[in-house]
Amino acid sequence: MAQAKKITLPLTDETLKDLRAGDNLLLTGVMYQGRDAAHKRIVEALDQGRPLPIDLKGQTIFFMGPSPARPGKPIGAAGPTTSIRMDSYSPRLIAEGLKGMIGKGMRTKPVKDAMVKYKAVYMAAIGGAGALLSKSIKKAEVVAYEELGPEALRRLEIEDFPVTVINDIYGGDLYEEGKAKYQVKA
Amino acid sequence: MKEMSLTTPITEEQVLSLDVNDTVYITGIVYTARDMAHLKLRQLLLCKENLPEDFRGGVIFHAGPVVKKVDGGWEIWVIGPTTSIRMEPYAEMVGQLGVKVIVGKGGMGEDTLQSLAKYGGVYLLAAPGCGVTHAEAVKKVLRVHWLAELSVPEAIWVLEVNKWGPLIVGMDAHGRSIFKCIALKASNVKERFFKVR
Amino acid sequence: MSILSGNGTIDKQFLKDRISYLLREKCYITISPDVMYLMEKSYEEETSDSAKEMLRTMIENVRMAENQKKPVCQSPGFPTAYIRWGKGTDITGLKDILKEEIVNDTKDGFLRPSMVHPLTRKNTGDNSGVGVPNMELEYEPTLDFMEVLISFKGCGAELGNAIKIFTPAQIGENAKGIKEFVIDTVIKAGGKPCPPIALGVGIGGQMDVAAKLSRRAVSVRKWTDHSPDPEIARMEEEILGMINQLGIGPGGVGGKATALAVKIESAYTHIAICPVAVNFHCWVARRGGMRIYPTGRIEYLFEGKDKK
Repeated sequence: MAQAKKITLPLTDETLKDLRAGDNLLLTGVMYQGRDAAHKRIVEALDQGRPLPIDLKGQTIFFMGPSPARPGKPIGAAGPTTSIRMDSYSPRLIAEGLKGMIGKGMRTKPVKDAMVKYKAVYMAAIGGAGALLSKSIKKAEVVAYEELGPEALRRLEIEDFPVTVINDIYGGDLYEEGKAKYQVKA
Repeated sequence: MKEMSLTTPITEEQVLSLDVNDTVYITGIVYTARDMAHLKLRQLLLCKENLPEDFRGGVIFHAGPVVKKVDGGWEIWVIGPTTSIRMEPYAEMVGQLGVKVIVGKGGMGEDTLQSLAKYGGVYLLAAPGCGVTHAEAVKKVLRVHWLAELSVPEAIWVLEVNKWGPLIVGMDAHGRSIFKCIALKASNVKERFFKVR
Repeated sequence: MSILSGNGTIDKQFLKDRISYLLREKCYITISPDVMYLMEKSYEEETSDSAKEMLRTMIENVRMAENQKKPVCQSPGFPTAYIRWGKGTDITGLKDILKEEIVNDTKDGFLRPSMVHPLTRKNTGDNSGVGVPNMELEYEPTLDFMEVLISFKGCGAELGNAIKIFTPAQIGENAKGIKEFVIDTVIKAGGKPCPPIALGVGIGGQMDVAAKLSRRAVSVRKWTDHSPDPEIARMEEEILGMINQLGIGPGGVGGKATALAVKIESAYTHIAICPVAVNFHCWVARRGGMRIYPTGRIEYLFEGKDKK
């Protein structure tokens, strides 16, 4: 397996130029965590012209809803949730400047097209590895929608958070390429 | 909308004179046949074996009755239509057999509509869930085929009926189907409910 | 008088007789009174001639069945029994009695033999079979009665049933996505489930929970009742109103009376999903229910035509 690239957040267009589907990355910096309900709220705010709780430009969102933290720990189990559920919202956020998304499972065409058009990447974290991933999260605080509990919007400080690039800014798709490699040719 | 009485065997001319929404009353011989009977007929045709009846000019009723054993035979206790669309895969076969009238409930699809136009036939609706009403029109059970093999509901019951109806023409021999129209109208109504604002 | 013997078990013969009466007088040869009320109301309100004629035939068929003690419809459907009991009573033997009575009633011509092995399609000949009847048992210690509700729901209607696991994004504003799914399912079914139908909708839980809720909703509730949850009651009215504008009509001939009722039952669910199950009930609501108290007192469910 290729050596993982160390990447500092926030992601810039410069950084994204060198990323390709299949790259293993270790992310350090600040990212945000939110899932279905937080995305719905953000898009509603955009629709109604209201200010957003965070500036999306350059940011990365991790599709996740953590379990409660143990005393002394910043966060509980923090595994990714199924990304496709956010597909009706992601193109809007990407158009507003979102540069990265982390989750699990494939994305649909409108999201992939938006990533190519506006330059953004989608990365996968290992599904079910909640305990492992939480170790890379050094700090977690709720920044909006506290009443949503696990679905609140959180700011996370991460160190060497392991992900794999699934969709890059050139239209590359690891799920497609991976399947093709193993499909039996007729 | 007109009313018509038909006596079996039914002619192509009679069938061509029917339009959707007409009302029909049938007298004569009716064959019940549903899922397993249609399957068996197809198997017999494929193997070029003899069929139990000559269906030319005939009426097929998608139904499986409740029967009572009486001296010397059977009595139809209760009978009503089953959901016809399950027999849609046999559309071409039924046309080829010479069947002129199909009676059932819920409607049939495009293949049947085309078969009715190609071979001359109509699809009639019998009031669903009206088991006692339809049984009143059955005068006699003439014979039954494949009873042991297929069991009571799926056997071919050969019935003598008198003024059986009202049966409503749902699909005619001219490519018209009330089910298509109703489905289209319903879709248009639905579009109004959920118009994207 | 107590129908419970010294060791708390119920008098088997008493139970057998009550079940037999419930089936033969309340289930096969008639439809439940609340449904008859709605059928008659639909007949009065129907605007299309052929639809009115269809409804008239249907109502008259029930009267004929009652008079001649014949089953209303030739198809027995698939029997489902909802059984509840508490500390005060005991259901020992009830499941066997239900199975036996269904076999007896088949032999006596009330039910057409219609149960088959799912793959070989071999008919058991007497409506016996693994899983027949479908029995839902609920023990609630505080109940001081035993409740048995049996419903014979037609299975042509089952062909139209549908289930979808919604994501939160798909639910839509005011559950628009769910309503659209329900309406689409009804349009697709058309006249196949023997309209005027009642629709059971299960929302929430997991896939199987939503499915069970959808069947329970339309089997145990009076079709004239209102949900105690105002949000749900509103949604039931709204969907019913929409369905009766589609124009499918009784028997699918075209007309106003497409549905008599929409019944929604729900359960809490996980944040990532919203399962929705749609379950069709034909107009021939052959169902009966009773509560048996330890004293032997019987209360029948579905009696009386409740006004909406």
